[in-house]
Amino acid sequence: MDSVTTPNTCPSVTTDWVRPETCVALDAFFQGFGFEAAEDLAALAAWALEGVTASNVKPQAAVALARARVETWLTRVLDMDVVGEGRLLTRGRAAFVLSDGARFGATVLTRDAVPRELSRALRAAVPVPVPAQVATLMPEQQLVLWPLGERLRRWLRAGQPDMSISR
Amino acid sequence: MHAHSFSPESAGIRRLFVLGLAAVSTLVGTWEMHRLLSARGTTVPEGVLLVLFALCFGWIALSFWTAVAGFLQLAVSKRLPGLRWPTAEESATRLTARTSVVMPVHNEDPASVFANVQATYESVEATGQLDAFDFYILSDSTRPEAWIAEELAWADLCRRVGGQGRIFYRRRTDNTGKKAGNLQDFCERWGRHYDFTIVLDADSLMDGRTLVTMARLMELNPRAGILQAPPLNVGRSTLFARLQQFAGRVYGPVVAAGAAAWQLGESNYWGHNAIIRTEAFIQHCGLPVLPGQQPFGGHILSHDFVEAALMRRAGYTVWLVTELGGSFEQPPPSLLDYAQRDRRWCQGNLQHLSLVAAGGLHPISRGHFLMGVMSYAASPLWLLFLMSGLIAGLYDGWLSFSNPHLLEDLGPEALAFDTTGAVRLFSVSMAMLFAPKCFGLLLALASSRDSARMGGRLRLVLSVVLESVLATLMAPVMMLFQSHFVFGTLLGYKVTWSSQQRDDADLPWSEAARRHAVHTTVGGVLSAVAFFLSPGLLLWLSPVVAGLLLSIPLSVFTSRASLGLWLERLGLLVIPEETEPPRVLERAQEVAEEHALEPVRDAVDHVLSDAKAHALHLALLESQPSPAAVPMALASARRKLLGDDVEPLSPPEKTAVLLDAHTLTEARERRLTLAVS
Repeated sequence: MDSVTTPNTCPSVTTDWVRPETCVALDAFFQGFGFEAAEDLAALAAWALEGVTASNVKPQAAVALARARVETWLTRVLDMDVVGEGRLLTRGRAAFVLSDGARFGATVLTRDAVPRELSRALRAAVPVPVPAQVATLMPEQQLVLWPLGERLRRWLRAGQPDMSISR
Repeated sequence: MHAHSFSPESAGIRRLFVLGLAAVSTLVGTWEMHRLLSARGTTVPEGVLLVLFALCFGWIALSFWTAVAGFLQLAVSKRLPGLRWPTAEESATRLTARTSVVMPVHNEDPASVFANVQATYESVEATGQLDAFDFYILSDSTRPEAWIAEELAWADLCRRVGGQGRIFYRRRTDNTGKKAGNLQDFCERWGRHYDFTIVLDADSLMDGRTLVTMARLMELNPRAGILQAPPLNVGRSTLFARLQQFAGRVYGPVVAAGAAAWQLGESNYWGHNAIIRTEAFIQHCGLPVLPGQQPFGGHILSHDFVEAALMRRAGYTVWLVTELGGSFEQPPPSLLDYAQRDRRWCQGNLQHLSLVAAGGLHPISRGHFLMGVMSYAASPLWLLFLMSGLIAGLYDGWLSFSNPHLLEDLGPEALAFDTTGAVRLFSVSMAMLFAPKCFGLLLALASSRDSARMGGRLRLVLSVVLESVLATLMAPVMMLFQSHFVFGTLLGYKVTWSSQQRDDADLPWSEAARRHAVHTTVGGVLSAVAFFLSPGLLLWLSPVVAGLLLSIPLSVFTSRASLGLWLERLGLLVIPEETEPPRVLERAQEVAEEHALEPVRDAVDHVLSDAKAHALHLALLESQPSPAAVPMALASARRKLLGDDVEPLSPPEKTAVLLDAHTLTEARERRLTLAVS
């Protein structure tokens, strides 16, 4: 089991100083992908904040940047046509974790080239719990439990119908 | 569409043979019983006794003549008429139809469920026809831990076999209609993707070749609505389970072949290990809600018989295809588990009584309902028969005591009870009861391969003797259990049963004593009354009395896997599927052993602490939007999860959290943050 362990180092291996709460938020985000090693988390934080003034970035903004970077990476690797806000990241993250992408280290995300083995594994691991629905209705069948009695009831025009009832 | 016969021309003569001879046997037996009872005239208790005898004897006679038909069918080993089977050329072609294989599950052990799915999947793959099949695990699990364990097991299975996009997992939040509702939900969402649907049970295991043959038969027989492959009990080690497995392997085929031989295209559906024509099922088998109150009104509990009847009413045939093979399930591990399963099935079967006269049904469908009722009602009838016998004896004694001159008024022929006639009737009844066992034994002995795979001829005979003795001793215990369930259902009192033993663990003596105390007491009282009336009567009742008096040790010892395995080492109660296991069985066992699942002790904690469980669960939540969590439960769960104090969540709170992606994300982030700080 990948238990929750958080490195006690701040991922500020970049030249900029990063707020501690931003470090924690980014660590938490990348831990969701199965990364545990401190150097991986540090490298990923640096990757996420690349091109911005890290000291100014608040946790939410940092995570938004990380999400955007990972989504771009997933779109490139998975080549999947997934619509809907958040679906790509959620399903891509599941695929990444299920195929144990973190074993390749942070470089798997930070470098352009993705190992073919991982790429194949990722595509195969995207969770498809169910196919597209073809909605149809299963009509409720009607059973006259005692046809003779029903005929009699109709003739007498009395009592409750002796018939299966609608749900 | 109205019911009409699609069965072959020989259906009439076959049905006349079985049903006619059963009726004649019942008449002759009842007449003989009447003759025995009426030596001194017939009292009221004796009249009741006679009616009960007729019902019980009729049930035995039907089983006997069905077994005779089965024996003849298997001895001739000719295929039943009616279904068109594929030629060698047709068998070599690719399947053109699409088939879904669905397995409804409800809080089951995921290791065993997914091992069976994997073995079945790989077996289909080995046929080269995998493209024609999709697999669905349809979860109705209510325990959060079972739910999360299933998700993880599904993902692992897909990874192992590359099954994403072919093996699907769906969990229902709303369990309306239980298993039938689960299947209906599947049909209404994805049913139209598929021509046929193979329904499995949580413990089902099927050979890929069987699935392909079933799909092929459906392709070739467009009026076939359901094909039922009789499942064989396998895979357990307790003595009780091994008794079931052995009986199912040796005698089961005789009974199944007999039923198939006279029911033909009006056979029954057992709810699993069967293929259904999806479109016809959707159009014609939507279950109604019955009018009135329980036990006869409300949702239909045992859906399979009703679905078969509705399918037949719509003009599609239902076949029990005994030649298929490759269809397996697991028996209950102990007598108590067996009884517990019966408790669930009992109300469903009794409910069918209200459907017997329903309009438009085929007469054989009505017969199935009645046979289903009798499979439970036979027990209280037998019990009442025994009690009536005792009461009749007591009443007779009281009459003689209160009127000493009565005997003097009767002729000497009235005083002499026809013991020979009674022994003859008893022997005939016993012979009819044991005939299916004898037929099964004869067929097994006739096949040197089969008997060799069952430990050899001598051990095979010894196994049959052992099984018969133990089954005879357990029969009265089941009679009391089933009578309790039937009376409970009819009289409206609740039969509760809290414990459940799912694996091969030994049954504790205390549990057995608690469950069988009444049986032992009844055995004691029965023997005392019988002895008081006549020591000879006690001898007649000894099989019943012995079973009841020994119910506690019998239940404990038969639940032991050590005893079952010891007998296996001695070569007793062995079935061919143990000596030469089919590949699919071996594979399921291998998978279960190789890929043991990590237990999920707390579902929410697991999802919050395990990156894989978290990512997967959120992805599945997003892919299958569920109804919103119960606001109250969610609010309370959020207070506990996100508050400062650590408080355990209740099951509804866990479910509410697991349905809410936002709370899960927030709680996990909070955990990680707290871990750092």
